[in-house]
Amino acid sequence: MRFFVTAVIIVLNFIIQSTFLHGIEIINIVPNTAIIVIVSFAFMRGEYEGAAIGFTVGILQDMFFCRYVGMNAFLGMMTGYLCGKFCADFFTENFLIPLLMTSASTFLYGFVFYVFNVLILGYTDLFYFLSNIIIPETAYTALFSVFMYKLFYIVNEKLEKRESLKRKLF
Amino acid sequence: MNFLKNHKKFVIALVSVLCLFMISFSLNRAKPTFFESGIGYVLAPIQSFNTSVTDWISSKFNALTNINEIENENEKLKEEVYALQTEVNRLKLIEDENKKLSEMLKIDQKYSDYPKVGARIIAKDTSNWYDVFLIDKGANDGIKKNMVVIASGGLVGKISETGLNYSKVVSIVDDTDSVGAKSLRTDDIGFVRGDFENKGMCKMEYVDSDAEIMNGDEIVTSHLSDIYPPGITIGYVKDVQTDENTLTKWALISPTVDFKHLENVLIITQSFKKNLN
Repeated sequence: MRFFVTAVIIVLNFIIQSTFLHGIEIINIVPNTAIIVIVSFAFMRGEYEGAAIGFTVGILQDMFFCRYVGMNAFLGMMTGYLCGKFCADFFTENFLIPLLMTSASTFLYGFVFYVFNVLILGYTDLFYFLSNIIIPETAYTALFSVFMYKLFYIVNEKLEKRESLKRKLF
Repeated sequence: MNFLKNHKKFVIALVSVLCLFMISFSLNRAKPTFFESGIGYVLAPIQSFNTSVTDWISSKFNALTNINEIENENEKLKEEVYALQTEVNRLKLIEDENKKLSEMLKIDQKYSDYPKVGARIIAKDTSNWYDVFLIDKGANDGIKKNMVVIASGGLVGKISETGLNYSKVVSIVDDTDSVGAKSLRTDDIGFVRGDFENKGMCKMEYVDSDAEIMNGDEIVTSHLSDIYPPGITIGYVKDVQTDENTLTKWALISPTVDFKHLENVLIITQSFKKNLN
């Protein structure tokens, strides 16, 4: 059940991100909802599930929109793994930590993506990319993460309740 | 499964290496793997539907908010139609004359019109870095890699991958792929590629230092291009500068196609691959 629900969330997010979200672009920037999915689940479920979800989300993007497969998969996996590792000590009821983690992840993800995909082509004007892509994307994504984390939190709680009933614990 | 659970860190490292391998193997691939194509086959119709809904809503929304503007525009367009009608008549006369004259000179009109197929954009890149998008025609409709994609304004890009019912289009405002180009007025030759540092703009590079290219010049694809037919408009020159290192000029070009509001494109289904034998 958990596997199925997570898969549906990942695919649904991909479809929405590539279609509907382009209708609400602000200064040509789309929020990176994929990172919100990765961070939220890594935060709630730990580093290994985060890494697995990050890999799946990334490879889906790679297959459709990248020139080579593997870049987003790797970055997604690392995002999930590191977020899960950092947040292991926090309670999942805390809504501020995922917001901060999403902002930090989006920023770092953008920066690493810039280094490996754009900087190597000879575009050295880091300030331009920071102010035109990375920072607006971070802000917009952070705004979205507030609502999306709440949604995922509810979904996760339902799933956990179901699982605990199944194991006849508590 | 137990192995996976006991060696989680090892698995993460292994998958990281796998990613690296995939990156190096998938550079310059010709078409998507069976797996990707399968997923695309399922997802493309859903994306197509979603994008139609988004386009419909935003067009209705725009219509509601801009009614005054639309009325003014309508007036203007009507005037323009009359002006263009007379222009068309004038050009028809010239065309007839041209036909007669070229028949006399026996010049073939090689590229008078190309076979074209229309397609709709169904999904756009999820990241904010590239301008890659998917269209709703694929190998089933006879689309092949490297076919040229145009829109009403001019050149959009080329097909980079084809699935069964979808294809991936890489636009000219993305870096990495160059288009052989020339200035229509002065016949100066150069290469156009996307410019990441001016999002949505192109850069025409390696223009001869003596070239008399200037602001406002129309840039079209040149006959030197490998896959593009000559004479398709790319854009207009915005700025010309000299590169201190190579002593060639480069020009900033604003594309004629409005990439932000692109919904439909045309694909030229003829191959222009040159045979050098």
